[in-house]
Amino acid sequence: MIEQRVALMVDEVFQPTRCESRFITGSEAVKEAIQRSNITMAIAYPITPQSESMHLVGDLYAEGYIPDYFRGESEFAVMGQVAGAAMGGVRVFTATGGPGTLRAFEMFPCWAGMRLPIVCCFFTRGVNSPLSIQPDTIEMAFLLDTGIIMLHAEGAQDLYDFTLRAFAIAEQTDVHIPVGVFADGFFVTHTREMVTVGPPDVKLPPYDPHRSPVPAMDMEGVPVRHMRDPFVMKSNFISYAAHASWQQEILAAVERSRKYVHEYLGGLLETENEEADILIMAAGTAVSQSREAIQLARAQGIDVGLVKIKCLRPFPTEEIQHLARRARAIVVPEFNRVGWLAREIKSVVEDNSRVVGAPRVFGGMTMPSEMILAQLQACVPATR
Amino acid sequence: MTKQIFRIAPGFEEIMPEEYRELVTDGPYDRSVGVADLGTFKELLEEHPLCAGCGLALSLRLFLASLPAPADTVVVGSTGCSAIAFPQVGLHNIHGLFGNQNAIASGLKRALKLRFPDRPKDVVVVAGDGATADIGLEMVMHSWFRAENIATVMLDNEAYANTGGQESGMSPRGAVLNMAPTGKKFEKVAMPEIARESGCAYVAVTSPANARRFEKAIRRAILVARDVGPTYVQVFCPCPTNFKFRPDETLGVIRKREKEGVFQYREYITPEAQQYLAASEGEKR
Amino acid sequence: MDSYRVKAGPEGYLPPAAACVGICLPERGHALLEGELVPEERALEEIARRLLAAGNPVFFPGPLILWDWKEGVAEKARALQVLAREVRAKIIPMPDYRPKYPMINPAVEINPNHPNLTIWHNHIDVCVFIGVHCHYANVALKIIRGGTDCYTIAICGEVGHEDAMISLRDAGLRTLERLTAMVREMKRKAGDVG
Repeated sequence: MIEQRVALMVDEVFQPTRCESRFITGSEAVKEAIQRSNITMAIAYPITPQSESMHLVGDLYAEGYIPDYFRGESEFAVMGQVAGAAMGGVRVFTATGGPGTLRAFEMFPCWAGMRLPIVCCFFTRGVNSPLSIQPDTIEMAFLLDTGIIMLHAEGAQDLYDFTLRAFAIAEQTDVHIPVGVFADGFFVTHTREMVTVGPPDVKLPPYDPHRSPVPAMDMEGVPVRHMRDPFVMKSNFISYAAHASWQQEILAAVERSRKYVHEYLGGLLETENEEADILIMAAGTAVSQSREAIQLARAQGIDVGLVKIKCLRPFPTEEIQHLARRARAIVVPEFNRVGWLAREIKSVVEDNSRVVGAPRVFGGMTMPSEMILAQLQACVPATR
Repeated sequence: MTKQIFRIAPGFEEIMPEEYRELVTDGPYDRSVGVADLGTFKELLEEHPLCAGCGLALSLRLFLASLPAPADTVVVGSTGCSAIAFPQVGLHNIHGLFGNQNAIASGLKRALKLRFPDRPKDVVVVAGDGATADIGLEMVMHSWFRAENIATVMLDNEAYANTGGQESGMSPRGAVLNMAPTGKKFEKVAMPEIARESGCAYVAVTSPANARRFEKAIRRAILVARDVGPTYVQVFCPCPTNFKFRPDETLGVIRKREKEGVFQYREYITPEAQQYLAASEGEKR
Repeated sequence: MDSYRVKAGPEGYLPPAAACVGICLPERGHALLEGELVPEERALEEIARRLLAAGNPVFFPGPLILWDWKEGVAEKARALQVLAREVRAKIIPMPDYRPKYPMINPAVEINPNHPNLTIWHNHIDVCVFIGVHCHYANVALKIIRGGTDCYTIAICGEVGHEDAMISLRDAGLRTLERLTAMVREMKRKAGDVG
């Protein structure tokens, strides 16, 4: 075990002067992030393609970086276990994906409502029958309105950065809700890339449960007569109003996270050549495929820009509205059947007939850059 | 020394609602009180909204009076009738989701162990029969397999009472209830036996009809869970509303069942727990 | 479109969370005044002015200041009582956050699940939240803005509350003492020596 010192400021861990480069998989990037995260507990349950990341987190437990770690009995149970740990006032981590996400689903809006700053990685895969373990981001469509913050990594570098920084966002007093860090299964978890990581001998400052917007459940804080969270379901107006106000407060917490996403992730999105006639707007590995397509398009003289959306909740509404204003067409390639990202973009831009919800692949299919190129080419007659 | 969380800040004594002033002056937090002292101290359950004659409400009162260390006890509940009374309980307590009480308690207990290594923090699950024997059975059993240091108390009213009286796994065979219109087709789930075989160091079946026995079971379960391993207490607390008997007949129903031999007080203690209890109960004497 | 302002209500059936309509919490040294970012000093003055002008100001201390649960709380509690006396405010506690069954007495306590009952019952025109965990303060402040005309002030030890008409952040003992000094100064200038 490498001796670690607790950083005085989070920036010591995020903006290290002593960076190291590693040629690692996405799963290994999660391990690197968790090694520096100063978590107290991690709880695991196997689900492909997530399992390897939690094996590696288990190694960190064996090596002494994490005080407690175990395998729960199901995803629903694990999400309850991390909730219990978070209410007990410690920093926790878990990961799931695909059918695991759906098995555990009832807990995600519950985490948000309970104001739990849990960080969970979601490694997306197909969920529908017939069974598939292959990449597909359809589960993200279901999670968009659970009240959790959603970050979507393009590759292993993002996965490292987002996972580690997610703790800093989640634990702010005015935010204090869960952060889901999403990465496309296999494409990110099982492939290698060069990843810049911080020095291994520094870890995040510890979580302080007394700065939480709700009391920790430890009989050490006030009020003593306290339940998390009681039914608010009497059949009268004020009960409804209390529940409504509570729900609004979760939305408000998501909204307040914007400034921290800016601070720690440098913004909710990134752009390249944003003045171009045609913009590709994408998230996750669809961004990487789009980069290839843009090279091909440029060789053909097509002017294309790229908008990489890193944060889906909160959604970069104003940024997208602003960027879309100039574009003649917006192409949204996705690794799912429903096209949830195109839907989101169409719901915020003016004249959404400009939004092309294509190409879409699913069920594990790859997305050849030529497919995206074809959509870009189809936009050209309309733009000239 | 009394923990500071039970002290009213100076100058606010007069404005605090009476129930809190009473909790501070007469509460059970750092005192050695039990069910025999009921009526002489401020109970942890304030006015509750459960039905008249509710066996579960009586059990909850007895349970709270039986805690060995209320000042360091956190209770985890589940969806059901008891969850409506829990906001009135003067302890930190959690309602997660229906059935995941033992999962939440597992994470919580481990977190508290790590944060307070030198001070026992008792984590006790109190949930109904639906939450424990049906929807949450997997998580209940796995917390026992993992030997989590938590005590699990089932308030067995033999039905899903809060949702309107449906059959549960703990309903008696033949009981006609909602969703069992022609009577339940199988026996009560053998939870005490399951608990024993799943690694519980202490298992008891009890009822509020015998308060001393009830208290002993709760105290033993919590103490053994603290230092030896998981424990289980099954509390028979019938529901007048859904089983349609008069509110003043609750204890009579329990005694009648006992007479018929259908309900029996039972206790199972592993040798290790036996030894531990002999030492700790001997100390007290 | 005009930017949203956090004014005294009643705003209506289901007002939005101010954070969702563009109101951002202040940075250190600043405060929120009806949804606008202002220097802390300006907000303190406005609080003092509002409290002195109020017909029935009421302080709602929450559990974090009602209980002597950690170092420094007793001093803050005393300072709050001095301030309340100075502005002739009543003190009604928020001892906990549970929905209270079978019913609450809104004359003697406020509950975050139905705070409007207390405000209606006691005809409160200006109130101060202090020592309330942020989540519950926000839940209550929105309900109050929706259904009452009470002018809400939040003295927050963390980062503040968009849903209050005036919100301080990082407020502690010093803040309360400064407020009291300001109130005394205003009273002196107004010739009120009582």
